[in-house]
Amino acid sequence: MKTTRLTLAALIGSTMLTTAVFAADVPEGTTLADDQTYTYRVLDEYDSLDPQLLEGVDSSTVARDLFEGLYNLDAKGDIVPGVALSHEVSDDNLTYTFTLRDDAKWSDGKPVTAGDFVYAWKRAVAPETASPYAWYMELMSIDGAADIIAGEADPDTLAVKALDDTTLEVTLSKPLPYFADMVAHTTVFPAPKWAIEEHGQDWTRPGNMVSNGAYVLTEHVQKERLVRERSDTYWDNDNTVIEKVVALVIGDENQALTRYKAGELDKTDIPAGQYPNLKEELPDEAYAVPRLCNYYFSFNLSDQGPEAFKDERVRKALALAIDRDVIVDAVLKGGQFPAYNFTPAATNGFEMPDIDYADMTQAERDQMAMDLMNEAGYGKGGEPLEFSYLYNTSESHKQIAIVATQMWKQKLGAQVTLDNQEWKVFLENRGNQNYDMARGAWCGDYNEASTFLDLLASSSGYNDAKYSNDRVDELLTEAKSSHDTTPLYTEIEQILAEDMPVIPVYHYSVNMLLKDDLKGWPMENVMQKMYSKDFYKVAE
Amino acid sequence: MLQYTFRRTIAVLPTILCLIVICFFLMRLAPGGPFTSERPLPPAIMANVLERYGLDQPLYVQLFTYLKNIFFNFDFGPSFAQRDRDVNDIIAAGFPVTLTYGFWSAVFVLVLGIPLGVIAALRQNSFWDYVMTGFAIFSQIFPNFVLAPLMVLTFTLALGLLPGGGWNGGQWEYVVMPAVALGTSYLANVARITRSSLLEVLGSPYIRTARAKGLPERTIMIRHALKPTLLPVISYMSPVFVYMITGSVFIDVFFSTGGIGQSFIDAAYTRDYSVILGLAILYSVLTFVLNLAVDLAYAAIDPKVRSGLK
Repeated sequence: MKTTRLTLAALIGSTMLTTAVFAADVPEGTTLADDQTYTYRVLDEYDSLDPQLLEGVDSSTVARDLFEGLYNLDAKGDIVPGVALSHEVSDDNLTYTFTLRDDAKWSDGKPVTAGDFVYAWKRAVAPETASPYAWYMELMSIDGAADIIAGEADPDTLAVKALDDTTLEVTLSKPLPYFADMVAHTTVFPAPKWAIEEHGQDWTRPGNMVSNGAYVLTEHVQKERLVRERSDTYWDNDNTVIEKVVALVIGDENQALTRYKAGELDKTDIPAGQYPNLKEELPDEAYAVPRLCNYYFSFNLSDQGPEAFKDERVRKALALAIDRDVIVDAVLKGGQFPAYNFTPAATNGFEMPDIDYADMTQAERDQMAMDLMNEAGYGKGGEPLEFSYLYNTSESHKQIAIVATQMWKQKLGAQVTLDNQEWKVFLENRGNQNYDMARGAWCGDYNEASTFLDLLASSSGYNDAKYSNDRVDELLTEAKSSHDTTPLYTEIEQILAEDMPVIPVYHYSVNMLLKDDLKGWPMENVMQKMYSKDFYKVAE
Repeated sequence: MLQYTFRRTIAVLPTILCLIVICFFLMRLAPGGPFTSERPLPPAIMANVLERYGLDQPLYVQLFTYLKNIFFNFDFGPSFAQRDRDVNDIIAAGFPVTLTYGFWSAVFVLVLGIPLGVIAALRQNSFWDYVMTGFAIFSQIFPNFVLAPLMVLTFTLALGLLPGGGWNGGQWEYVVMPAVALGTSYLANVARITRSSLLEVLGSPYIRTARAKGLPERTIMIRHALKPTLLPVISYMSPVFVYMITGSVFIDVFFSTGGIGQSFIDAAYTRDYSVILGLAILYSVLTFVLNLAVDLAYAAIDPKVRSGLK
C-alpha cells in the first residue's frame, strides 16, 4: 500500500493526503460518558517533555498530546494531516514543500508558523542543545544535519526554510522514499522560541509551557503524576472528546494491576506471563496486539568472540535447535510471534521472505541442527561446545535463557553458562564485545523494515555482533532510495538466515488491559503511537 | 549549649566533604554511564552531550566544579536522566513527600507504641501484655513488604476504602497506608523498649522513695518514671526517624508516592551521578542533624547529660 502511494506521489510530484479521520471518530448514536477522564499507568518518570530532547516512549506519548507535528498517524499508523495539510516533492525527490494550515495556534494564541518548525529543527541538531535524538535528523537525510551535529557547520545552514508563514521547504542530501512518514516523530515537532528563550530549561513546566497540540500541560508532579487537559486553542478542538488525561507513575507492575482492578486506572500493562489468566478473568479488557519489536540472541563475531561461532554451521545449528513455539506458548504466553527472520511481519510494506527453516517441523530442524553440529566437529560426537550467554537481570529474560540453554544442551550437548548483569553493566559489556552470546532486542523507530535491518550493516553503531557482509551493506544502501524494496529486503533476510549472525527468537506483542468503556484505541497501529484526542469514553 | 552545637557543626563538615569525594569516585567505578543506552549514541552526538554536562572534563576538574557549585551556589548540578530538571528540583519535589509520610509514620509509632508499652509494663503478664507481645511478634513476621500488599488487597481491592497508591498532593487517604506500612515494625519495637525500660525504672530506688512519700501513682508515673523511660526510646528512634523521612525505597516504589526513595533507586540504575550524590549528601546532613537533636534532647531530659555538655 505504502509503496504504491509513494510511487504515485513520486510520479505526479505531489501528494494530497486523504482528509479521512481526525480526532475522535465517534459513531452516531453513541452515548458518551459524563466523565471524560482517561487515566493510565506509566512505568517511570519522563526523561524530558521537550520534544527535541526526549527519548522515552512514554515521553513521546505525552508530547504527541501536547504538540502536533506536520503529520499525525491514524489508527493504522498511516500519516494524516497535522499542522501540514499536504506536501509536494520535487522531480529529483530531494526537495519537500509542506503547506501548513493557517488556523493552527499555540496555547498562548499565537499562530503556528513554518518558522516554528525551522527553529525546532535547527534546535534539534545544534550541538549546544545536545539532543540525544539528533541522530534522527541525520537519519531523515536533511541536508547539512551531519555536519552541524559534528560541530563543523553552523545550525543555520540546515536545509530547512520557511518560504512564508504556511510554507516549509526541506532539502534532503539524498532521496528518502519514506521521508514524509518520518515527520510524525516528536523530534521534528515545532517549538515555541519565545517560551524557550524566556524560561530556559524550565519552559516545560506547567504554566511556562506553550504547546500547539490538542492538550495543554496542567500538572506535573515528578515520579507521581502528569495531567494534561484539552486545549481550546487547538484547531480541531471541536472534535476532541477526552477532557483530561492523567498519567500515573507506578513502578511496580503488579501494583499497577491491583490499582487497575480497583478502578483507579483505565489502562495498564499486563505483567509478564499473566496474559492467559487475565484474558479469562477479564475477556473484554485484556488485549495482545503486535508491536514492532524483535527479540534475538546475538553472537559475538568479533575477534574477542569464541572460535566456534566463526563457523556458520555452529550458528545455524544453535538457531535451529530452539523450539520457538515453546518459548512463545509456554514461557511468554502473551500472543508473541515465533520469529525465523529479523523484521517483524507487521512492519508496513514488508513482505515476509521465504526462509527455509521457517517451514520445517521442529523435528526436522532438530535433525538438521545435529547434522550441522557434527559436520562442524562439535556436538555429542565431537568436541563439546561451551560458551556463556549474557542477559540483563529480568525474570522473563532469565526464563527464556534457561529454556534455550536446556534445548541446546539436550539436542546439541552444548554447555552454556548463564551470566546475568545489571542493565548498564550489561550494555557496557555487550557494546564492547565482551561476551560470547548476548540477548538483544530492538523496537522500530519508524514503520519500515530498514529500522530493523540497518542494525546489521557493518557501519551500524548498534551492530553488537560485529557482523559484516558486503552484499548486505550494498542492498541496504540500495533500499534507501528504492521504491520497490521487497526483493532487496527478501534477499537480505535470506542472507541473514544463511549467515545467522543473530538468532531471531520472537516478535513482540503488547499485552495490556483497557477498560471496555474506553474506545478509539489504535489496535492496528503497531508502533503503539496513539493520540488521546482520538479516544472517547462511552456511558456504561 | 549553643557553643556545643556550633562545635559539632564545624566538626561534621570534613566528614561530609570526605563522603562527597568517596561517593563521587565510587559512582564512577560502576560500569556504564548516564548516557550508556540500548542505542549507543553516535560519537559526534555523545561528544555534544558529554560537553553539555561537563562530563568530558578530567575527573578532578568535574569534582572541583561540583564542589564549587555546592558551596558557592548551593547548586547540586543537573540531572542526567531527567533532562528538564536539576538535582535541587528533584529533592524539592520528592523530599516533602517522604518527609510527610515519614513524619506521620513516626507520630503513629510514638503515639501508639509508648502507651502500648506503658500498659504492658503496668499490667505485666496480663491480657494486654500478651496482646502487646503478640503484636510485636506479628509485626516481625509481617515486614513492610508483606504488610503493604496485604493492606492494599484489604483496603483497596476488597473494601474500596483507600486508594492503592499515588500521592495526589498528600491528601490523608494517600498518606495512611504508606505511613502505617512503614511504621508497624518500629511500633512493636518502641512498645517493647518502652515496656522493658519502664519495668526497670519502676524497680529503681527513687521510685520506691516516691511511693514511700505517698505520692499519687499518677504523679509518680508522669513526673518521675516516664522521662527516664523515654531515653532508650529516643536513642532508638533517632536513626529510625532519619530512615523514615528519607524514604523507604520499598514504600516509595510500592505506593508510587513520588518520594525520594524512588529517585535514589532510579538514579542508581540510570547512573544519574549528580542525583545519587545529592541524595547521599542529604542523608548524611539529616543523620547529623538528627543525631545532634537527640543529644540535645537527652540533655533536656537528663540533668546528668546536661552538665556534661560543654
